[in-house]
Formats: sequence, C-alpha cells, structure tokens
Amino acid sequence: MRRAGLAIALLAVTLCVRAQQRPAFTRSAGVVAAALPSEVLQQASVKKQLGSGLTTTFLVAARQRDRGTITGARLEVRYDLWDEVWLVKRVEFDGKTERQRFASAEALEKWWRTPVRLFASDADRVLLQVELSVLPFSAAEEDDARAWITKAGGVGTAGGGGLVDALIGTTISAKPITSYRWNVDLALR
Amino acid sequence: MTRTRSLALLVAAVAAAAALFWTLLHQISSVWLDVALRPEVRQALEHSMEDQKTLRQLDPARREAYRRQFDHTRTLLNRIEVLRMNRENMLHRFELALVAMFAVAALLTAVTLWMRYRRAQERERAEYLDRVTSLQETARRHAHEIKGPLTAARLELERLADLARHGADDEELARAQESVGEELARLTRFTKEFSSFGGLGQPILRRESLGQIVEEFCSTFANAWPPVALHDGGGDAVVCVDRDMLRQVLVNLCSNSARAGAGSVVFGIVKSGARVLLDVRDDGEGIAPSLRARVFDPYVTTRKVGEGMGLGLSISRKLMLDHGGDLVLLETSEKGTVFRLAFGEGVCN
Repeated sequence: MRRAGLAIALLAVTLCVRAQQRPAFTRSAGVVAAALPSEVLQQASVKKQLGSGLTTTFLVAARQRDRGTITGARLEVRYDLWDEVWLVKRVEFDGKTERQRFASAEALEKWWRTPVRLFASDADRVLLQVELSVLPFSAAEEDDARAWITKAGGVGTAGGGGLVDALIGTTISAKPITSYRWNVDLALR
Repeated sequence: MTRTRSLALLVAAVAAAAALFWTLLHQISSVWLDVALRPEVRQALEHSMEDQKTLRQLDPARREAYRRQFDHTRTLLNRIEVLRMNRENMLHRFELALVAMFAVAALLTAVTLWMRYRRAQERERAEYLDRVTSLQETARRHAHEIKGPLTAARLELERLADLARHGADDEELARAQESVGEELARLTRFTKEFSSFGGLGQPILRRESLGQIVEEFCSTFANAWPPVALHDGGGDAVVCVDRDMLRQVLVNLCSNSARAGAGSVVFGIVKSGARVLLDVRDDGEGIAPSLRARVFDPYVTTRKVGEGMGLGLSISRKLMLDHGGDLVLLETSEKGTVFRLAFGEGVCN
C-alpha cells in the first residue's frame, strides 16, 4: 500500500517536472512564438556539449497538426574558448537572423528564454506539435570534418576514392544528443 | 564422391576465410580511428590551446599570431570531436562495406569453383566417350582383321574336304592347301604387328653419324615405295641413337608419304643449339585437319578397315620419346607434310 502511494507520488513529481519543461507560447502581431524551457540548457548532456567549443545547434520544428504545415527555427550556441564568451545565432521561421555574444552563462540563459518566432497564424486555436532536437555540432563543422577525414584518408582525389567518399559522406552526421516533443492544444484568443 | 569432396572443400575454404575475416575485421578497421582518437592527442591539443592563451598575456604584441594558432588547434580539436562522436557509426559502416565485399568475393569464388567443377565433369565425360569410341573402333578393326582370314581359311578347308571326297588331283589339293596357308600367314602378320607395338624394347644408344644413316637409308630404300624418290638433303651431326629403331621410324614416315601420294621425300638435318633435328618433308596431299590433333594416337588412320591398324606414327613417336627426343608434326597442307625428329642429348652406351 505504501509502495503504491510512493509510485503515485513519483509519477506526480515527474508529470510536474514535465509540465514545467513545456514551452510558453505567445502571439504578437499574428506571429506565434515559443519561449523554450530553461531546463533544456541545464540538462547534463547539453551543458557538457555547450562547453565543448563546437556549435551546439537547437532545431525547433513546429507542426500544425490541423493544417499539416511545418515551420521551424534554429538556434546555435558556441562557447568561444579564446575570448571566453558565448556566441549565439538565432534564425527564425521567416529567415530573420540575429547574432549576439554574451560574457556570462546568465546572459545566455536570459537570451534563451526570449521567445522564438515559429509561424504566423490568425487562428484562435492551433493543434501544435513542437519538436526540439539538440545537435552536437553545426552543418558547417560537419562538412569541415568530413572534408578533413576524406583528405586525411588520401581519397577524394582522382580515381578509386568514390566508395570511401560515399561511406564517409553517409556516415558522418550530427545525431541528436537529446530531443523533446510537445503536443499542445493552443488557444490564442 | 568427387562432387561431395569438392563441396566439402568449398565449404571449408569459405568457413576458414570467414573466420579469419571476422578475427581481423575489428582490429583492422578501428586502427586508424583509434590513432586519431587517443586521449593524449586531445589532451595535447587542449594544452596547446591553453598555452596560446597564456602566451597572449605574456606577449600581447603577438596576440594575433597566437590567436591564429589557437583557432587552427581548435578547428583540429573540433574535427576530432566530430570524428569521436561518429566513431561507432563509421566503424559499423566500414565493417558493413567489408562484409559486403567479402560476401561478393566468396560468391565469385564459389561460382568460379563450381564452374570449374562442372567443366572438369564435362571434360571427363568427353574424354570417356572418346576412349570408348576409340575402343569401339579398335574392336571393329580387330574383328575385321581376324574375321577376313578366318572366313577365307574356313571356305578353303571346306573346298579342300570336297576336293578330297571327289578324288581331286594332287596339284589341285596343293593349291587349296597353299591358299589356307596364305590366310593363316595374314593372321600371323596381324598378330606380329601387335606384338611389335606391345613389345617395343628400350633403345640401345650409340654415337652415330646421322648424315650417314640418312644416306644409307636413301640408298637402301630407294625403290621401296615407287614412285616416291628419297633425297638426302645433306648436313650431318653426331647423335646418340639406336640405328634399327631410327630406321623403323623413317620407314613408317616414308610409308605414310607414299600412301599420301607423295612424289618425293627429302631428309634435312638441322642443328638448333645443342639439339639435332631431322626434318622429313614430303609433297603428298597432307593430313586432314580433323586428324591433325590426334595423328599420333593409336588406331588413327585414313585407311579402310582391313588395310592397316594406324599404329605406325604412334610407334614412331614412342621410339623417339624413348630416345629422349620427340617426333612432331611440324606442318601439313595440301602441298605436303613435314615431320620433325628431335634427338635427345642423352648419354650414349
């Protein structure tokens, strides 16, 4: 009986934590934005990756389930080991790009909580599925590493390297270190 | 039995190759990745970056140079980090590619072995059929060679008995008896031919002048195969040879030339390095293309059944091989044929 009670309590705590991790949605001038939960940055694997010197990339995909449209945004965070500052970049659904640098983790977290513009909508209610994938490095770093490995392997030059090139090309990719998915019934009146 | 053994060998070979492949696969494929991902490499690069940062404070004038070096090291470290994160994926992919290559190689080997096995089977079958056909032909010739004289002798004996019953005179009886004797002589010659084939002795080699042997042969057998004229083409060399056996070879070749309608046979002695060659050239009608490859096989002849067994060239080649030399068909066409006798460099008795 006590065990069942303990299990129910743990479940309640877990649900509570999960609830706290949900993004906060707002609409301004017909554009829906989401403030991503701070807990994402605090997660151990993400925190470790942020200090690696590689560009940690956060991909946000918003699917409007009732319409079938998908839009998205991208946030890139890199810790510059030379100047010891955080370099960030935010690309929103309409291509609007913002770059900044922060001297402290607190400033970074404050920037993180700023809502990310996801899509334009005049609807009063949107059935939304939001996915956040945390990639350990950027596309540019991926391309650079692929070119370096290809060159180091002595392939990619004339003749004979096609197979190895293909192997490397299809092998090196940024697998998400973690990901989140939220299903939201959004009332925007 | 052969098929089972071949399959067992094939399976064993593939299993052994697969075991060896799997043993080496992980070690080989991960070597280059492990070299790049050694922790000390990463530590060295991190220390280098720390050093650059320290140096910019100690030597601010060269700050930009240290920055460039720092960025270069950082880029390298980033690449290694990307490589580390994809290590398992890359290994898996490379191993998969190697396995695929191994499978293709194994498949090709299996197909090749199978095809070779099938070809060997077909060849064995064809050779067996050839042997049986050859034996059938031999049996047919033997039967004919024996049956002819036997039938004739039986008829002559019946006639002899009739003559005796009806009181024929002695002269007529003698003729019938002589006729039986002739048929029995034919049988004797036939068996003698086989005896000579089966009982070929080893040559007694002596140092002889080949030119002299040819000259004597042309003289002795000048009128043996009219209208064939024998010509000594000249030349000389000392060879180790059994004179009687060489004469038998030359007789066989000249007999064939005569049957091929030749008007002349020319003997030419040629020296090729340390070897001595004797070319026997005729101007007969040549050997049919279908027979050229088998011309030295026993019982191969263009003659009709009952006119010869086709053992001459077979015996001749055997004699030359016993000399440590050989007999080859050098060329043949409708303008004539050349056989070449090669003499061995054996030690004379």
